[in-house]
Amino acid sequence: MTGPLLDIQNYRLDIATFDGPVHVLKDINLTVNRGDTLGIVGESGSGKTVLVRSVLGIGPKASKVIEGSIAFDGQDITALSEKDWTKIRGIRISMIFQDPMTYLNPLFTIGQQISDVIAAHEKAAGHGVSSKAARRTRTEDLLDQVGLPNPAMLFDQYPHQLSGGMRQRVLIAMALSGKPDLLIADEPTTALDVTVQAQVLDLINSLVEKLNLTVIMISHDIGAIATIAKRCAVMYKGEIVEQGLTADILSAPKHEYTKRLLAAVPDIDTASAKVAAEPAVGASPKPGILLEAIDLRKVYRSQSGTEVTAVDSINLSVATGEIFGVVGESGSGKSTLARMLLRLIEPTSGDIIFDGKNISGLTGEPLRLMRRHMQFVFQNPHSALNGRHTIGDAIGEPLRIQTNMSRRDIEARVEALLDIVQLPKMFKYRYPHELSGGQKQRICIARAIALNPRLLILDEPTSALDISVQAQVLDFLQELRAELDLTYVFISHNLAVIRQICDRTIVMKRGEIVEQGETERLFLSPQHEYTKALIESGRKTSRAANLSAPAGS
Amino acid sequence: MLTFAFRKVLTLVGTMIGIAALTFVITNVAPGDPARLVAGPNATEDMVTTIRTEYGLDKSLPEQFVVYMGDLVTGDLGQSIVTTRPVLEEVLRYAPATLELVFVAMALGIIVGVPMGMLSAVYKDGPIDHATRIFSISGVALPAFWFGIILQLTFAVDLGWLPVSGRLPLVTRPPETVTGLLLVDSLLAGRLDTFWTSLRHIILPAIVLSFPCLASILRVNRAEMIEVLQSDYIVAARAHGIASFRIVAIYALKNALLPTLAMIGLRFGWMLGSTVLVETVFDWPGIGLYAVSSALSSDFKPVIGVTLVIGFFFIVANTLVDLAYAWIDPRLRSA
Repeated sequence: MTGPLLDIQNYRLDIATFDGPVHVLKDINLTVNRGDTLGIVGESGSGKTVLVRSVLGIGPKASKVIEGSIAFDGQDITALSEKDWTKIRGIRISMIFQDPMTYLNPLFTIGQQISDVIAAHEKAAGHGVSSKAARRTRTEDLLDQVGLPNPAMLFDQYPHQLSGGMRQRVLIAMALSGKPDLLIADEPTTALDVTVQAQVLDLINSLVEKLNLTVIMISHDIGAIATIAKRCAVMYKGEIVEQGLTADILSAPKHEYTKRLLAAVPDIDTASAKVAAEPAVGASPKPGILLEAIDLRKVYRSQSGTEVTAVDSINLSVATGEIFGVVGESGSGKSTLARMLLRLIEPTSGDIIFDGKNISGLTGEPLRLMRRHMQFVFQNPHSALNGRHTIGDAIGEPLRIQTNMSRRDIEARVEALLDIVQLPKMFKYRYPHELSGGQKQRICIARAIALNPRLLILDEPTSALDISVQAQVLDFLQELRAELDLTYVFISHNLAVIRQICDRTIVMKRGEIVEQGETERLFLSPQHEYTKALIESGRKTSRAANLSAPAGS
Repeated sequence: MLTFAFRKVLTLVGTMIGIAALTFVITNVAPGDPARLVAGPNATEDMVTTIRTEYGLDKSLPEQFVVYMGDLVTGDLGQSIVTTRPVLEEVLRYAPATLELVFVAMALGIIVGVPMGMLSAVYKDGPIDHATRIFSISGVALPAFWFGIILQLTFAVDLGWLPVSGRLPLVTRPPETVTGLLLVDSLLAGRLDTFWTSLRHIILPAIVLSFPCLASILRVNRAEMIEVLQSDYIVAARAHGIASFRIVAIYALKNALLPTLAMIGLRFGWMLGSTVLVETVFDWPGIGLYAVSSALSSDFKPVIGVTLVIGFFFIVANTLVDLAYAWIDPRLRSA
């Protein structure tokens, strides 16, 4: 047969909800030929995950196909029975997932999980299940194929003993175990560190070449898509608004949404004009030091007695009014550092000086009062808000705890704060689930600035947000700083974002600062090997995404 | 894993000391003069003083405590006033009956409760789910004494299928005592008829004792299964083509079992406590019945003894649950 491998025609899908059906997919037309690499770009809620899961027959339970068909290798698969699916799932079509931690069963060894998949495939194919030893050999081959060292040892390990990048490789090995015709990758790099992202993308690329795979990859990260996919489709609100060659779409987007999306992608190789202009706003002739850390250390001791140094002898000083960037990969200790600066966790040793006062020894009431001057914004706005409290309660909470303001004054202040974060006053009656991710993060910021703090520590404030929303939040943060005379400590793993807004930056690795200085200098002439590697990895995807702009610096 | 087990056993010892201290405090806080109780209502002041000295009740509280703890360590739980025999000996005589009842009831609760919880999670909001919901709510809601009497009336009195009460008929010679559990001992002695008779005796009390426990195991397991079945690795297992039955019965169940295990540990202690009621209704010669009759005759040493023994079994059960946790979850082992 020479027809397309996957042919989706006029596909429409509704999901039944309490408030009636929601049209999740609208009139999807998509064909994938053998050997194709197709990328699907879209933001959260655009329906891309539902679409690819429908291809595998694991869509949401309450979903209903309204119209259209999905044909895989000539066979309509929209109404297959569970039994027929067993011949396709994992064998002819397989899938890799976003977060390799949550997609591996924590209670079974790596070997057990992959062997099981192999056994299931053998059973479905009709010839008997091979011996345990044979499956072990095959599993180790697969682990080897995805570039994992020491497969024999890995076989008996549990998911929690592996790093994120290794887990993703395990998932890829699992997906390859059935020698699939079609591999679906659902945000395979989103939950990974920059350098690991690049490695995983390289791996997928090499597998595509070696095994002649057909790949559908969905992502909100255009850079990742551009690295893998020759063709690309853009999804927006359940529709495919644009599709064609990836290079064409990146260089000459036609649809309004695609243009907006591309414009919002921060470019690692572009210096931010805004940052350069900002210091002038600060107007004070010689900015003082607001926050200082001296020899800050945090050592964790596990129950078995081994010590892990999460943060090691950190010295830093943050000037009043500046945006101080902290960049590093997961496990580099940046979140631990941030929490120590606020005394949310106790440093093992070292001093924290805030506005000339050593706060590392403060306890009880003085510490509580000190907290009003320094606030924290968390990474994930979805979990940082209590789902059972209204927005008004959430923003008003610090005011109730830290001040003696009357009920009415608090109400007024909440409305004023909503105004500052550019949201309608009526939002105070709403609940978090009624808001979008970007709106929720604004609420979190409103809550953080409720007490007029002088310092905000932002821990990956845009990582959980869509790209276009990220751009809005970043702009908004910069405006806010000028308006309220704030100082930020801005933590991120995203180099492009750091470059866009930070005045000075430190680069952390394994609990230590490996390099620090003016952000621009850091990007233009990195000194330390690690900084160079980090920027290079970031550049890989960033450059691919910014084909439209003149590449390189 | 070994150090983990060792730590758990150490905690066990610590908790045991805590319980012993607590029972001591409670008996001394409780109103009434034990010496006067022992002496009886017609005793003279002299007799009370003699008894007080004899029992060491004239010493200061810290001294009494030291003596009490010292006795405990040597296995001396004091003497029953009514039977004048050592409490330890009596408790050990009655404990196997209670343990047998609790084991059977717990097995029933797990064997029925876990699969029913799984089923109602898989068929959530379907007829099976609704039926098990009604079943489990009545399990928690029915008072044990009432439910026990209804079962006795229906299956023993009206239908005559099962004996009304007791552990073995008086005419049956009990098998040689090895474990003290009749079901086990009769099998060891090769006496199938005795096994059958004791099984018939234990069915009704075990059902009454296990019903609330079964219901809560069912509910917890259902809730956990529903949560686990929505988790990412289950989606992944489906996408990789693993058969549905295997996903539910192995992949999901193992994860859902953790909280269910915690519930089982808690329920074990609760069951030991409720034997007091169930044993009274079914005239089951266990420590519950022993505690009730001792309490009714103000015989306080046996009551303390039973409390300590129940506490001991409860802690042992929970230590086993903790170990099972670590056995199931590799993340706890390395912690």
